[in-house]
Amino acid sequence: MSNQNRFDVIVVGGGHAGTEAALASARAGAATLLLTQNIETLGQMSCNPAIGGIGKSHLVKEIDALGGAMAIAADHAGIHFRILNSRKGPAVRATRAQADRQLYRVAIRQILENQQGLSLFQQSVDDLHIENGRVTGVLTNMGLSFHAPTVVLTVGTFLGGLIHVGMDKQAGGRAGDAPSNALADRLRELPFTVDRLKTGTPPRIDGRSVDFSDLEEQPGDEPRPMMSYLSTLADHPRQVSCHITHTSEQTHDIIRGGLDRSPLYSGEIEGVGPRYCPSIEDKVVRFSDKNSHQIFIEPEGLGTHELYPNGISTSLPYDVQVNLVRSIKGFENAHITRPGYAIEYDYFEPRELQPSLQTRHVEGLYFAGQINGTTGYEEAAAQGLVAGLNAARQSQGKAPWCPKRSEAYIGVLIDDLITMGTREPYRMFTSRAEYRLILRQDNADRRLTETGRELGIVGEDRWNSFCEKRNQIDRLSDEMRVGFIQPGDAGVEALLGQTLSREYSLHDLAKRPEVKVSELLGAIGHERLPEHVTEQVEIDCKYQGYIVRQLDEIDRIKAQQDYPLPGDLDYTEIHGLSNEVVQKLNQVKPATLGQAGRISGVTPAAVSILLIHLKKQGKTQVRQRA
Amino acid sequence: MPYIKDTIAARATAPGRGGIGIVRVSGPGVKEISRHILGEIPEPRLAIYSDFRDGEDVIDQGIALYFNSPGSFTGEDVLELQGHGGPVVLEMLLNRVINLGARIAAPGEFSQRAYLNDKMDLAQAEAIADLINSSTEAAARGAVRSLQGEFSTRINHLVAKVIELRVFVEASIDFPEEEIDFLSDERIEVQLAEVHQELDKVLDETSHGALLVEGASVVLMGKPNAGKSSLMNLLTGRDTSIVTDIPGTTRDVVNETLQLDGIPLRLVDTAGIRNSLDKIEAEGVKRALAAGEEADLVIAVVDASEPDAMKQAESLLEDRRTVVVFNKIDLVADTGLLTDGIQMSAKTGLGLQSLKDQLKKRLGLSPNAGSGFTARNRHIIALGCCKESLVAARSLLIEQRAGELVAEELRVCQQNLSEITGVFTADDLLGEIFGSFCIGK
Repeated sequence: MSNQNRFDVIVVGGGHAGTEAALASARAGAATLLLTQNIETLGQMSCNPAIGGIGKSHLVKEIDALGGAMAIAADHAGIHFRILNSRKGPAVRATRAQADRQLYRVAIRQILENQQGLSLFQQSVDDLHIENGRVTGVLTNMGLSFHAPTVVLTVGTFLGGLIHVGMDKQAGGRAGDAPSNALADRLRELPFTVDRLKTGTPPRIDGRSVDFSDLEEQPGDEPRPMMSYLSTLADHPRQVSCHITHTSEQTHDIIRGGLDRSPLYSGEIEGVGPRYCPSIEDKVVRFSDKNSHQIFIEPEGLGTHELYPNGISTSLPYDVQVNLVRSIKGFENAHITRPGYAIEYDYFEPRELQPSLQTRHVEGLYFAGQINGTTGYEEAAAQGLVAGLNAARQSQGKAPWCPKRSEAYIGVLIDDLITMGTREPYRMFTSRAEYRLILRQDNADRRLTETGRELGIVGEDRWNSFCEKRNQIDRLSDEMRVGFIQPGDAGVEALLGQTLSREYSLHDLAKRPEVKVSELLGAIGHERLPEHVTEQVEIDCKYQGYIVRQLDEIDRIKAQQDYPLPGDLDYTEIHGLSNEVVQKLNQVKPATLGQAGRISGVTPAAVSILLIHLKKQGKTQVRQRA
Repeated sequence: MPYIKDTIAARATAPGRGGIGIVRVSGPGVKEISRHILGEIPEPRLAIYSDFRDGEDVIDQGIALYFNSPGSFTGEDVLELQGHGGPVVLEMLLNRVINLGARIAAPGEFSQRAYLNDKMDLAQAEAIADLINSSTEAAARGAVRSLQGEFSTRINHLVAKVIELRVFVEASIDFPEEEIDFLSDERIEVQLAEVHQELDKVLDETSHGALLVEGASVVLMGKPNAGKSSLMNLLTGRDTSIVTDIPGTTRDVVNETLQLDGIPLRLVDTAGIRNSLDKIEAEGVKRALAAGEEADLVIAVVDASEPDAMKQAESLLEDRRTVVVFNKIDLVADTGLLTDGIQMSAKTGLGLQSLKDQLKKRLGLSPNAGSGFTARNRHIIALGCCKESLVAARSLLIEQRAGELVAEELRVCQQNLSEITGVFTADDLLGEIFGSFCIGK
């Protein structure tokens, strides 16, 4: 690939958002440039070495269903897989993989390097070229200019990054990497609202100095799950166990003794940290009645002894970190390889974004990942995919793709961000999704792969394998509706453990909580079908009533939810709206009536008044769809 | 236009005891509802006399009118059931319509639909917006009022219990690896049963009217010794309020109900508004102002014998709900300057009829009465839906041990409660979870 300087899309940043953005853009057919400070750290997992988890694996599988890289890389790097909530229903089950950092980077880099239409270049970006409110390109630290009609910024915690260990602080985007201060200063000159957030990591530990003999071992699950719809078990490397230990009263005393030198408690840190991922000092202070906190000891990889003790993220001074670590069972002689730290960074008010993730202030400029106030690799990657895809589509003169809340967790994520904003690093939870029973990790492909194909980001192999699965599901569903079992059917009655009083369709039998479709098919001598096919049919049967109820609801409010609101609507001019509502609507500039109604403080009455206003205007601009 | 085209229903006549009471239904479900209640779909625009049925039972008998789309007030299929007007019968009829798939109309919603379906002149956009706003305000005041006292305590308790349950159920779904003392299924089952029982009790008592007082609320306000208490006693025909010529005699809020030609009124006498050093009186003033906020109508009593009476009246009229009464008119020589108010004397009874006429006019035309729903009805229906979700949640737990479906039913239950208590978002729930448990892997 030649070193040209004109592209359709430039992606700045090579983390989880940047890589999915660059890949999606290139898959969509746009000439794409990925600029990163350091090619060696493409796909780096800066925090804990795990992909997935509750709410998060839903995102990973959606990215996968749309042709993204994260799930495939996680399968190639995963050294410990678990299904969470396995005893609960399929809607809330999730997959998590502990990943070997190095293998993950290798997998991501391989996918990037083999992506047609994507160029990689190692340069940090100091400035954006902006003409008449439109982005036209970027300027790098060597003074090179690259031009493109769209730019996706995915610079994570690098903007104004400030690392705290005790009362010491130093500028940094991640331990060992420089922050992007020139770019941060430049962005602060633009009309974006900037604020600070905080996150942290625990000290890392040399596994050779840990005594595992008394620690609880947590092996991976068997049968072992996979992240990607395309992977096979052969893609997984060797598997290892995690361990669990706990803090003690002594640990808590050590922490309390060090609080006077804690940047969190001395007011050094102004950024807001996540409530669901507090530092160990925060946990000890806020939940002082708990005399022990759980720590998951996660391996960093197959080729290293380093361990990640998940649960003791801290910014206490190093000497306190050493003492607190050594007060934990198994860590009595532990050697810290890297101190824990807190990092503060700039993020931009996400309510200034459009549903496409294009910024409202600069045309052609997209933001994705932590700079929008989220945390987590999966949340970043999901936004990256949407931003990269939409940047490509904009450069091609196509309309953006904005997934709905009823369609994908990605839609919930983006809608939450641009509608409600966030005051702490935003993380996905299943309770954020009102259509949780429809948005499952098991059916992300059935929800999204066809759309991805239409958008041009799903390749031939994935499409063919999906079509085959879908056809099998459809065929089996039909068979189960028309297939009836008569009383006296020995095989089925043996399976049910009771006699049938009348004839039942297979479909109705599968609705019973205790019946498994694969076993039912076995009992009637049906040909054996893959687990991923029978499972889908089984879930469809068991959840049917709820799925129908939610689909009805989605359908009923669809016309109103999706009704577009003009971006230039001046809400001060609408008769009858209160000042508070006007202010909120002008701040968010909702893209649809549905989004307007979800803004806190915008009442149903206000939405009614908006409708009345639109109707009045609609006479001059015919926009009727309903 | 992209409004949600479901079926809405409301009482179309003013609340209270009247000659006839009308329930109006509009939307795509009208034919189905008509078939169930009347046993037929009447010929459009032709009045029929019919039983109003709930299965085998006859709720009422009356006139039914059907208008087919688009030839109706809203432009949709519309059914009007004109019954015998008693509040209990009308409520039963409305509940039946709701059970058949309609929902209670939002404030101003019939007019809104009429507008959106080109049944009203486009120039009326602003008028409709105003109607929606004023109806919403009226509804909000009604809701606050019905949420007073014992009822409010019960509801808040109920909501707190549902939230507590959801905190456990949702936390066990989103944070299964945390060391939380999750409730066992058995414990959740017991709690579900408790909430259910409590809900039943509230429902039972509300439907017997023990907890809720219906009717429009009219508050008497004004400066001390303007004659509010005298007026109160005149209107009720009883000596409820103590009358002296010492300013500040009424120190608390005094309640009295009366019927004004069938419209039930809750008349509230308040302490005079002034800065007082007397602690008890100051508290009374605070309560007076609060009562004023919730009122449908405010009777502002101005002492006509004060030189700045007209100026006082002008500032009071800024509140659309205000009716100004120039009291002690018998002490004033030149009454010609006192406009935009009712001239009367609480002492002699002069002007009482004009005040009553004005109250009737204002309440009769009040959008609250026009859209014909009451906070109380809304609350009872919302509680009924909560009950359904709780029953479903319990059986899902017992029969299927399906935590995620229990969670779904509880979510729906809370959504229904939010009709009463305001919105409770997913973020609020997460806040409760993070506040209750130490989450933090």
